[in-house]
Amino acid sequence: MHKAKRSFPRWALLAACLITAFALGGRLLLGGNDGSSGTGQGKATGAGSSAGPYSDPPYDVVPLLKPAKKYFGAAVPGAPTSMKAADAYARMVGKRPNLIEYYAGWGDGFDAGGVRRAWAEGALTLMSWEPFDTSLADIAAGKSDAYIEEYATAVRRLNLPVVVDFADEFNGHWDAWGTRHTTPAQYVAAWRHIHQRFLAAGASNVIWAWAPNIVNPVPDVKLKPYYPGDAYVDWVGLVGYFTAGQDNAFDSVFGPTRDQIRTFSKKPMLLLETAAVPGERRLADVSNLFAGVKADNMIGFIWFNYKKRADWRLEASPLALQEFKRLAADDRFGFDVRKLS
Amino acid sequence: MTSRPEHYTPQPYDPYADDPYADDYTAGGWFNSDGYVPRQPSYDGHEGYQGHQQYEVHQGNQYYEVHQGHGHDPEVYPYQERDDQPTFALRTVAEPVPAEPGYRIPETPDAGWDDTPSRRRAWVSRGVLAIILIVQTVLSLRLSNTAFQDEALYLAAGHNIMEHWANGTPLHSGYESYFSGSPMLYPVAAALVDGWFGLSGARLLSLLCMLGATALLYSFTRRLFNERVALAAAALFAVTQPTIVLGRLAVYDAPAILLVALSAWIIVRTNRAPVLAVLLAAPVTVLAVAVKYASALYVPTLVVLAALTAWHHRGWRCVPRALLFGVGTAVLGGVGLVYTDVLAGVRQTTTNRAHGTDATWTLVQKSAEWGGLMFATAVAGAVAYGLRGRMNESPRSYGLHGPGWRWRALLGVTLTGTALLAPAYQIHLHTAVSLYKHVDFGLLFAAPMAGIGVIRLVGKHFRYPQLGIMIWVIALCLGVSQAEWRFGLWPDSRGLVKAIEPYMKPKGRYLGETDEVPVYYLRDRTTDSQWTSTYVIGYPDKKGVVHHGKNGYRLALRDGWFDLVVLDGVSTPGLDTYIERQVTASGHYRLVGKIPFRLSSGDTRAYRVWAKTS
Repeated sequence: MHKAKRSFPRWALLAACLITAFALGGRLLLGGNDGSSGTGQGKATGAGSSAGPYSDPPYDVVPLLKPAKKYFGAAVPGAPTSMKAADAYARMVGKRPNLIEYYAGWGDGFDAGGVRRAWAEGALTLMSWEPFDTSLADIAAGKSDAYIEEYATAVRRLNLPVVVDFADEFNGHWDAWGTRHTTPAQYVAAWRHIHQRFLAAGASNVIWAWAPNIVNPVPDVKLKPYYPGDAYVDWVGLVGYFTAGQDNAFDSVFGPTRDQIRTFSKKPMLLLETAAVPGERRLADVSNLFAGVKADNMIGFIWFNYKKRADWRLEASPLALQEFKRLAADDRFGFDVRKLS
Repeated sequence: MTSRPEHYTPQPYDPYADDPYADDYTAGGWFNSDGYVPRQPSYDGHEGYQGHQQYEVHQGNQYYEVHQGHGHDPEVYPYQERDDQPTFALRTVAEPVPAEPGYRIPETPDAGWDDTPSRRRAWVSRGVLAIILIVQTVLSLRLSNTAFQDEALYLAAGHNIMEHWANGTPLHSGYESYFSGSPMLYPVAAALVDGWFGLSGARLLSLLCMLGATALLYSFTRRLFNERVALAAAALFAVTQPTIVLGRLAVYDAPAILLVALSAWIIVRTNRAPVLAVLLAAPVTVLAVAVKYASALYVPTLVVLAALTAWHHRGWRCVPRALLFGVGTAVLGGVGLVYTDVLAGVRQTTTNRAHGTDATWTLVQKSAEWGGLMFATAVAGAVAYGLRGRMNESPRSYGLHGPGWRWRALLGVTLTGTALLAPAYQIHLHTAVSLYKHVDFGLLFAAPMAGIGVIRLVGKHFRYPQLGIMIWVIALCLGVSQAEWRFGLWPDSRGLVKAIEPYMKPKGRYLGETDEVPVYYLRDRTTDSQWTSTYVIGYPDKKGVVHHGKNGYRLALRDGWFDLVVLDGVSTPGLDTYIERQVTASGHYRLVGKIPFRLSSGDTRAYRVWAKTS
């Protein structure tokens, strides 16, 4: 009796402490807590801090948007999946291209290896993404979101800068996404949708190049309705060639398009795809090209070195090639993109 | 039954001591002429005496047979009354030499241990305290994260103030108007250490403060009660979430707690000294309040403690002691207020702090989670102490039942009740901001009572050590898990700092949700004045009109006023959505990157950084 009486306070103490401890422990395990230090909110899990899905900070492409020197680009067959053709082009023109363009269909996988190979040689990769089989309306409606998500994740994971030009020459009628099949609103909606999905995936390492064809062949198609907005576009890339049957002055080829775009966008401009029809005039065309890019303060150009519908390859006109080589030696053209970051 | 006589006390051998015939010897000599000893018949009917007595001495678990007496003649001779006769012959009989006993039974002490102070006792206790401090150090040091926004703010302010003193660099903002402690004290000291050793050094300063607080807690608890209680109190205090976290956070609270603990220690330590000695605690208390204004909440406790601790030695004269301490503190504090400009800051951050929207029940729950176990143990200890004052099992203890019950109850209520001050005040303000830090001030005072609770649970002679160990282990588990959770509530800013570093220009203007962190880490390249937070904006447009609030952010972004926008979605998530829309709408900005982070609250978010590109 005496013993029981003496031990009571101890067990009372123990019971009080245990009840408190279990109450606290239970709450802790079940969650339901918030930071309360002015910073945190949500449920308590005891998880560690600051572990994101990517270990590296995202590549900042801003220094690449408007570099001091000009992009000296080339689209050569096989590059950047293999850089042999690009290397041959570099030997031919005497300067290594620092912007390699390649073409990919909507539904193709991301060529991270190619981008990495080009980067290893000091070149940025531009992917012209062409939706041959999927309508822009469907893309805008989210029907390709799984693909976009996968693609964007792969781009973010690579964490190297990539230029994406989606559905170029949209103002022409000759492509599946051209004016005959797509309205400006659908085009803008699709562009913005893809852009948003990429940002949602954290793929801020994409430089978005909006690439209309020069307006000369389609003067009635106004570009402004197709413009997604400054928040969605980094570069304006013109697609235009020095072709036969038109004046080869730089202003004649690119001036009308440039002037129209400058009414609604001040984004850096480049010639995203250009070349000159082979022949005697090519030498002058090349000369005009280099001069015009400099005069208009464009950020560069990409020479389309393909034999497609015409032989746009530089080697097809040795004299023009020599002029090209001479002008490309200008220090203002070309730089190692890796050294801008 | 034992054969041991009640009166038995082992003695050195004395052949005459128990001889019942001693008188006979005196009367008639040892021997008669026949050489026989005359004997008398025993009155109980037995003849002669039991010369071979066996005693059982119960000492411990051993029984000893004690043989007393010497060789004897078992022969019994009838008593014959006869006259002495002439001695015809004398024979020399060898006197028997008493045998030395094999051992002597030591005196049995009335207690198995000594409750008086000793060097051994002090050093053993200090050794245990050292282990507790090592545990506390390890628990604090294992926490890891980049600077919390408060740390970043105070350290950056400290650097700014030092530069102001050294080079006349202008102060960036009126720190004294919104800092919860004097900007000239801790921020400067911490920045000084930060300048030498970086953030880790500043945090180490906090750890030293918290270790000092634990050691002082041990010391004044030992003086109030005893070593056991002091060790239990220190062990519990060392493993609570606030203590662990504050030992790894370069903020005001750690030095303030150290100073409050030092003040309490001085008050307890000088309880027998002349009354004026208590004034030594006044400047320390004022310094604690200056370091962190909220420390003033605990000055009444110190005043009461000044009275209670002197009661035994001074009786009612303990009251003037308390008054002296209170007045001394008030005078010094008043002088401080007159000669400094902290009153606005005191109002802003402490007395007139903005009322929040946190529900009372939520605050009660939080307080219970972060200090509930220790408080419950303290309440239990206070009740147990009120009921029974005896602090140890030694029967030699001075004043076995300790002080009177009124004193005990008052001390228990004072110490335990102090733990309620911070939660009560924050419930009044309806804000949980910094509650976990303020709770630790109260726990410092409740700790001695919690120590008593644990010791009473363990019982006399450490009868139930497992109960004390269990309480401590539960406290440890709660403290460790809560501290880890607490330290993961803000994002790791390394990725952000790396991402925005190239954008720091001398004339840049930046909008940052938690701008204190980049200002601290990039202080060589940017200053506080270049940053606008998401709490307040005053955007002057080209006409000189200043816009505030959401409209201010909208217009500033529309006009491309900021060179960089950094949001994290943690401090002002509602405004973030609005700002993000304006950033997109303006067209001037381009996303530099999203830097994801995961908080211990389970949320995965990301820093979003936009740079002005057009």
